[in-house]
Amino acid sequence: MLKMTHLQKVYRTHLIETHALRDFSIHVREGEFVAVTGPSGSGKTTFLNIAGLLEEFSGGEFLLDGVNVSGLNDNARSKLRNEKIGFIFQSFNLIPDLNLFDNVDVPLRYRGFGAAERKKRIEESLTRVGLASRMKHYPSELSGGQQQRVAIARALAGSPRLLLADEPTGNLDSLMARGVLELLEEINRQGTTIVMVTHDPELAARAQRNVHVIDGQVTDFDEAPRLREVAAGNADRGSGAESGRAVGAMD
Amino acid sequence: MFSYYLQLGMRSLRRNPILTALMVIGIGLGIAASMTTLTVMHLMGSDPIPWKSDKLHYVQLDNWSADNSYYDDGRPPDQVTYRDAVALMEAGKADKQSAMFKLSLPIQPENKELKPFRSLGRVAYTDFFGMFEPPFKYGGPWSHDQDAGHERVVVLGKDMNEKLFGGQDSVGRTVRMDDIDYTIVGVLDDWKLRSRYYDLTNGAFEDPDEFFMPFTAAIDLKQRSTGNNSCWKSSGDGWDAYLDSDCVWIQMWVQLDSPARLAEYKSFLDSYVNEQKKLGRFPRPLNNRLLDVNEWMADQEVVSRDVQVQTGLAFAFLVVCLVNTVGLLLAKFTRKSGEIGLRRALGASRREVFSQFLIESGVVGLSGGVLGLALTGLGLLAVRALYSEYKTVAHLDWTMIFVTVALAVVSSVLAGVYPTWRACRVQPAAQLKI
Amino acid sequence: MEIRPIFSALMRSKVSMILIGVQVAMTLAIVCNALFIIGQRLDHMNRPSGMNEADTFYLGSSGFGQGFDARATIREDLATLRQLPGVADATVSNSVPMSEGGWSTGLSLQPKQKTSTADTAIYIVDDRALDTFGVNLIAGRNFKPEEIADVTFGDRLQPASIIVTKALADKLFPDGDALGKSIYMGEDPPTSTIIGIVDRLQQPWMSSSSIENSTFVPAFMPYGNSSRYLVRAEPGRRDEVMKLVEQKLSESNTSRIIGKVHTMEETRGEAYAGDRAMAIILTAVILALLMVTALGIVGMASFWVAQRTRQIGTRRALGASRSDILRYFQTENFIITTLGLLVGAVLAYAFSLWMMQSYQSPRLPWYYVPIGFVCLWALGQLAVLGPAMRASRVPPAVATRSV
Repeated sequence: MLKMTHLQKVYRTHLIETHALRDFSIHVREGEFVAVTGPSGSGKTTFLNIAGLLEEFSGGEFLLDGVNVSGLNDNARSKLRNEKIGFIFQSFNLIPDLNLFDNVDVPLRYRGFGAAERKKRIEESLTRVGLASRMKHYPSELSGGQQQRVAIARALAGSPRLLLADEPTGNLDSLMARGVLELLEEINRQGTTIVMVTHDPELAARAQRNVHVIDGQVTDFDEAPRLREVAAGNADRGSGAESGRAVGAMD
Repeated sequence: MFSYYLQLGMRSLRRNPILTALMVIGIGLGIAASMTTLTVMHLMGSDPIPWKSDKLHYVQLDNWSADNSYYDDGRPPDQVTYRDAVALMEAGKADKQSAMFKLSLPIQPENKELKPFRSLGRVAYTDFFGMFEPPFKYGGPWSHDQDAGHERVVVLGKDMNEKLFGGQDSVGRTVRMDDIDYTIVGVLDDWKLRSRYYDLTNGAFEDPDEFFMPFTAAIDLKQRSTGNNSCWKSSGDGWDAYLDSDCVWIQMWVQLDSPARLAEYKSFLDSYVNEQKKLGRFPRPLNNRLLDVNEWMADQEVVSRDVQVQTGLAFAFLVVCLVNTVGLLLAKFTRKSGEIGLRRALGASRREVFSQFLIESGVVGLSGGVLGLALTGLGLLAVRALYSEYKTVAHLDWTMIFVTVALAVVSSVLAGVYPTWRACRVQPAAQLKI
Repeated sequence: MEIRPIFSALMRSKVSMILIGVQVAMTLAIVCNALFIIGQRLDHMNRPSGMNEADTFYLGSSGFGQGFDARATIREDLATLRQLPGVADATVSNSVPMSEGGWSTGLSLQPKQKTSTADTAIYIVDDRALDTFGVNLIAGRNFKPEEIADVTFGDRLQPASIIVTKALADKLFPDGDALGKSIYMGEDPPTSTIIGIVDRLQQPWMSSSSIENSTFVPAFMPYGNSSRYLVRAEPGRRDEVMKLVEQKLSESNTSRIIGKVHTMEETRGEAYAGDRAMAIILTAVILALLMVTALGIVGMASFWVAQRTRQIGTRRALGASRSDILRYFQTENFIITTLGLLVGAVLAYAFSLWMMQSYQSPRLPWYYVPIGFVCLWALGQLAVLGPAMRASRVPPAVATRSV
């Protein structure tokens, strides 16, 4: 699903060069739920930005769902992002001037779906996060947990193959955080690959596999991920031992 | 506290030079456009003789044809006939009165180095000076006796005396005009008239009169007016027929010192016209008017329609500029919500934040006002270049300078009220939590 | 593209939208009406006088004293003028077009008619006038020298024959058969016969409602000791001829004053100075107004971009391309501008109505408002382009940056 090989990211100012990622390699298989942990400044967010095609990288190779991303122009990257990736941010990033319906609608508009298709998807995904009844409300009228659910609905509406979550529970209290996490697990069970950046070890522990980033390098990973109980009748593609075993992070 | 806020305002403006420049330019342009047109309108239309403008009245009698009124809207002619003017002068019912007309004469200077030249002046009675109060430098007006005696005397304007006698006291000397010698009885000082309001028929913004001579003497010499002459039927041949005709070519002013005197004079005019009707004149219904100076100026549209339209448009433009400023201030203040939250958290009251931002708006207004003042100067320069006849009215005076700056500051503070109010609503906690 | 969500987002920040909308509305109202006034003034200024203005100039002569022989002087002067090198022709006339000073009278078809049929300007001239003015005779004939009557100033003009402009002829005789007809100048006989028709000659008064109603009256009538000469130079020689004329006339007789020489071009300039000034002032107001409005849009749009940086980043993260973001701001501007323009259209007509009632101006033609729409749409798009480009360059990674 996502394969980075010897990836480098250098930030340059006129005085100094900062190596945010140096020789960073990771391979996330389809259907996995991977937690990326590490102290602040380790390069977690840079990794996520590159994985989400928000930023370019300086060297190495990056295949997203088999597509070599380097050399794609901005438009192609936007398209790829729109079609394959869903985003969940720490601070939700809902657009305050739009109601829930219109917020979820945003990526679908860029996708170019017709009105009926969009409506169906918006309703489906809001139903999935349990907020179908509040479609006409504005973000400011919701609690943080609810806002993050809307953000998840927005991420899911386009049926992405890969969900990138950046500290999805960072701005939530523990009760709300648990709800959000359960929702993510549920989504993963239904087959969507999830990469979650977090510094919370408890949260990371619930992922199938942990990748630890320190100083821009993958230094530690869980070679034998715990197998998740697969819900009955929900043995979709790509879960289970196979993906767990095949994880390979180089270096 | 005020100076602290002033300092903060200045600093904040410097921090955002482009936004500040946009606001200052906007206000400056709006102020300049409205002040330029307002100055012209103000000076054109302002009362030229405020201490007695309600006592000076312009006499209008409707001697026009039974079939057509003089003006399409039924207003009476703006001048009177010779025979009516003389009848009113002889009756002498007003406190002061003068018939007058405009006259152009060739001047033949004594000094042979000066070539003869044409000059525009005024034929009037001595009360002209008593009514309109031009300042005298030397001598004074001629006397009532000299009016009655048809004497060939003259009062020279300042420039004419400058030209003919090098500015010396020329009283008692003579000036030769159209081959006739007139004795100089007085010389005017600088008579600053914004508009020549006593003869609006022949142009409010013409050059000032260069000489004045008795009406009676000019009529003896069969001098016709150089100004407007209107007839509704043929006058017949010759000078005497002309004087006897219903052609209007003379302006008639009276001074009436009280409302009672005005009422008396009105009824005198009515009875005069009714007498004339018995002689077969004045076929139209009674339609006498005695407008005072300001009414007469409004009637004759001294402030031209163009200037009124320009002023209207310029003020609409100012409104646009102010709306623009509201928007930009709003943008600026919203960006500072963090700072406001911090100040509130550090103990500033809502009121203090309010004053701080209003003063900042005032600083913008003051800068806009100064720019506007400079642009107004340029604008008036342009008006003088475009309208040569408005050179007397396109000048800034202290009142207008004060009004310009005050208008800029007041309007921008007003423009700042809403954004400031918005900025003050910021909850300190909301901004600091993140 | 996505008009409805942009619109509903806008409705959540009404004040900013109203501020820009009001500016756009007032700008439209002012620009439409000011452009209309400018157009009227330009039309006014472009009216032809009917004369050869390029080569023609005029000057006054005034003698002094009772002994001055005006008639002899004028005859001498005309003889002098006509034989000067470079002079095409010269005549004596009481007035010239656009000079704002002259004579007028009513013309009637019947004696004792209560209201005259037409008002006309009177040009009191000799048989060389048509050639000197440079007007075209389109029917009939010119005056003969023997038709120029000696008249004393102050006596009634009773010309046996007159030449009128086509406009006047059509007004008097709408059937087009004016030539040879007789009319009354004033209320009493005798009548005057129309012996010729010229295509066009304006009256001296620029604000006249019947400006092309003019009549040539053949008479030799000095105004006291004064007279006015109109001189047409050969093409291209006007300036040199002017100097020569002034010099020759000054030398020829010292008991009179030769006034300033005016070209017809100067006279046109002065006659239309007010219109010109109005057009220039309104143009300046329009330009300043458009500038302020454009700056206002730039300012507000920049502010919005700055305020929504994170939102833009989120949109980018959700798959919006640069051009999507660009289009978002352009669409937003288009919506605001359009709302403002709709209000502005009402304002523009209201302003025009006020002008009609207060100043008897004509109605604003309908097409000014759509033209104004197009211009302000273009202005808005141009103004928002910069900030929108800046918005489109917001990196998507802004979305993951912690606040």
